[in-house]
Amino acid sequence: MLFNSAAFLIFFPVVTTAYFLLPHRFRWMLLLAASCYFYMAFIPQYVLILAVTITVDYFAGLGLEKFEGAKKRWVLIASILTNIGMLAFFKYFNFANENLAALADFIGWNYPIHSLSIILPIGLSFHTFQSLSYTIEVYRGHQKAERHFGYLALYVMYYPQLVAGPIERPQNVLHQLHEEHHFDYPRVTDGLKRMAWGMFKKVVVADRMVQFVNPVYSDPTSFAGPALVLATLAFAIQIYCDFSGYSDIALGSAQVMGVRLMKNFDHPYFARSISEFWRRWHISLSTWFRDYVYIPLGGNRVSKPRWAFNLFLTFVISGLWHGANWTYIIWGALHGLYFVLSALTEPFWQRLSALMRLDQLPRLKASLAMLTTFSLVTFAWIFFRAASLSDALYITRHLISGWPSYLAQSWNTFVQGVQTTTQPGWYSIVNALFTILEPLTTESRAVLGLTAFALIILLVIEILQYRGNLLEQLNQQPVFLRRVVYASLLAAILILGTSYASVQQAFIYFQF
Amino acid sequence: MPAPVRAFFISSLQVLVLAAALIALIFLAIRPDPNHYFAGSRLQLELLKNTRSPRIILVGGSNVSFGLDAELMQRTLGIPVINDGLHAGLGIAPLRELEEYLRPGDIVIISLEYNMFSYKNIMEGDRAFLSDWIEYSPRRIRYLSDPWSEIPAIYATMLQRKVNREVNRFLFGGSLDETRSVFIGTKYNANGDFVGHLEAESTRPRKIPSVPYLAPTLQNDIFIFLDRFDQAARRKGAQVYFEPPASRRTNCEITGAQVMARFFNTFRKKLSIPMLTPLDEVCMPDKYFFDTPYHLNAQGRQLRTQRLIENWIQITASSK
Repeated sequence: MLFNSAAFLIFFPVVTTAYFLLPHRFRWMLLLAASCYFYMAFIPQYVLILAVTITVDYFAGLGLEKFEGAKKRWVLIASILTNIGMLAFFKYFNFANENLAALADFIGWNYPIHSLSIILPIGLSFHTFQSLSYTIEVYRGHQKAERHFGYLALYVMYYPQLVAGPIERPQNVLHQLHEEHHFDYPRVTDGLKRMAWGMFKKVVVADRMVQFVNPVYSDPTSFAGPALVLATLAFAIQIYCDFSGYSDIALGSAQVMGVRLMKNFDHPYFARSISEFWRRWHISLSTWFRDYVYIPLGGNRVSKPRWAFNLFLTFVISGLWHGANWTYIIWGALHGLYFVLSALTEPFWQRLSALMRLDQLPRLKASLAMLTTFSLVTFAWIFFRAASLSDALYITRHLISGWPSYLAQSWNTFVQGVQTTTQPGWYSIVNALFTILEPLTTESRAVLGLTAFALIILLVIEILQYRGNLLEQLNQQPVFLRRVVYASLLAAILILGTSYASVQQAFIYFQF
Repeated sequence: MPAPVRAFFISSLQVLVLAAALIALIFLAIRPDPNHYFAGSRLQLELLKNTRSPRIILVGGSNVSFGLDAELMQRTLGIPVINDGLHAGLGIAPLRELEEYLRPGDIVIISLEYNMFSYKNIMEGDRAFLSDWIEYSPRRIRYLSDPWSEIPAIYATMLQRKVNREVNRFLFGGSLDETRSVFIGTKYNANGDFVGHLEAESTRPRKIPSVPYLAPTLQNDIFIFLDRFDQAARRKGAQVYFEPPASRRTNCEITGAQVMARFFNTFRKKLSIPMLTPLDEVCMPDKYFFDTPYHLNAQGRQLRTQRLIENWIQITASSK
């Protein structure tokens, strides 16, 4: 079930109302049944995959608490193999097989294994990692084994974060699922506000960006640099609003029921360095990789070359986690490279900054750092979004092509517009501005105007949130003003949102 | 009810009422656009309600609206003729509307675009076009396949399109893209014919997509629908005929003679609705089309209408 579907508009209030009406001892059953229903709305039979991993991890948890030494390690290995095995089979088998077949073909071998026709289970990477974190934490002694099968199943399947995270840790969530949560007015309303804002980001901003991204990325060779740049920038906005919007709805819906999930996004595009970006982007995944891959590899308590290798490898694995395609691996590798290089060249940048006296202009320095980080991240998104490696390479090679003629043409159009502003309503200038955009998109001017309006709302809210707790500030305003703000937000979702008007756009991260 | 729950319901209700009021205000403040091409559907509906029977009703997509001259037919045949053609994007919904207004002695000439015979989703209509059409007569929602489940989406789409239209008007003084150029809602004659394209400027040839008219396989649902429509019309004492849509020679050739023939044969096999124009006469020279493979210019429209009148006289004479 999609959060942005009409079905969820019925599902959520029904489940939440039933949750608060039921005695505490029955609530886990309700939530588990609701989570099964939520997941089975996609492909029902894939719930069996969850059943297998939960069962294995349930007994693994008990075994990990019971056994010591080698036996304990074997139990953990069995759990990891089961979980990773599922992931490997459904997500990576065809990728590995196709690459092996290509290699065999290259060296002239006859490769007999055919690819499988399987649909990737929704959110497989998310619930596999969540399940893995349980057994690893029990192994490490940070979490007691869960003896109630239902609660463990609920930990893995809790519907708000089942298909696209945040990837939780048992220490944070399991005890919350056991606790009794009463109806708490401020908590419930804050959760709903968070959901509404997440919905705005998804259906108003992210889904509007699709119209600029998809036509270009489905056929990049038909476009020159300006259109490629616009589409890539639009994708940077789309993926942020899509994924952080999803996370806000997940966090908000859990918050309504009294469960506080971990924050997944913290204004990542305001980051001033790649390392800061990764402290702000998909926090639950980056901390997962930090705790379960990077640190076990030795982290930063090793030699510099080994540290660089550990970091790079972690990012490559993170890229592979996103998808079984070389484009994702390169995306991860690029971020690894950014990270390592920025750490290694930090003294140089500090010296350069001092030389240029940027330290005396902290705002300019911060803005430059943000712009650089955003540009690097956006460049890497090309590999994340492109359908194939050849498309991605084409886009990167042609980003700067076609600019001189486009800029010259745009300038002439704009000057003509300015010269004919005698018409009322600034028609000529507005007309010139839209004419400049015509070679880049086929969208109507009304759609472009509304998209610009939605982006301005997003930017203002993001800046206000970045500077302080916007919700807290809003809660201190007069009641009527607050009601008007929330009503306007709901109306904006309906009026500016695209989900109800056209084909629903699934969340990007569902495919992972 | 505990106090926090009561407070929650009251505040939620206040927010919902405010949001509903805001939406209703926007919805009601933005009136249907008289310049929209679909504004002509109001006139067509009035004609369906008020024109005396027996009468001829031409129905279908824009190939009917642009490419048949009901006024000429009325002059030639001496009975009232209504052009009820509008847009293929509406699918079969206008036919469902027409069914309600059929009376004994009525003659219906259906001319559905070929793509409706190829794809079920096209037959059901496009939500954006349907919402524009319903805006001119809200009771039209009943003509959708599944009205109740479509109501929220249709009205949300309508609201968004109203806002888009106003933004456009605010910026440029025009209306939506598809209503620009010749597609102006005030350019209908008294018979419901669209005449905006008959002016010289509007018929300037544009690049017409060279795409096939039909997919190699035909979908069955449209034949089932047409059969039901025919039976319902007979029960009301009306007669139904089918006129192949305006067909451009280049697109006919790209579609292929075999595929075109298969369509005509399948139609005759599955339905007892007489076809007015035979296959060998159906494709017309490219010069009679001006912007899409279905839109005839003034000369093409006249030629097609005359051909239809001749075929109609011939068929009705032979049936007597």
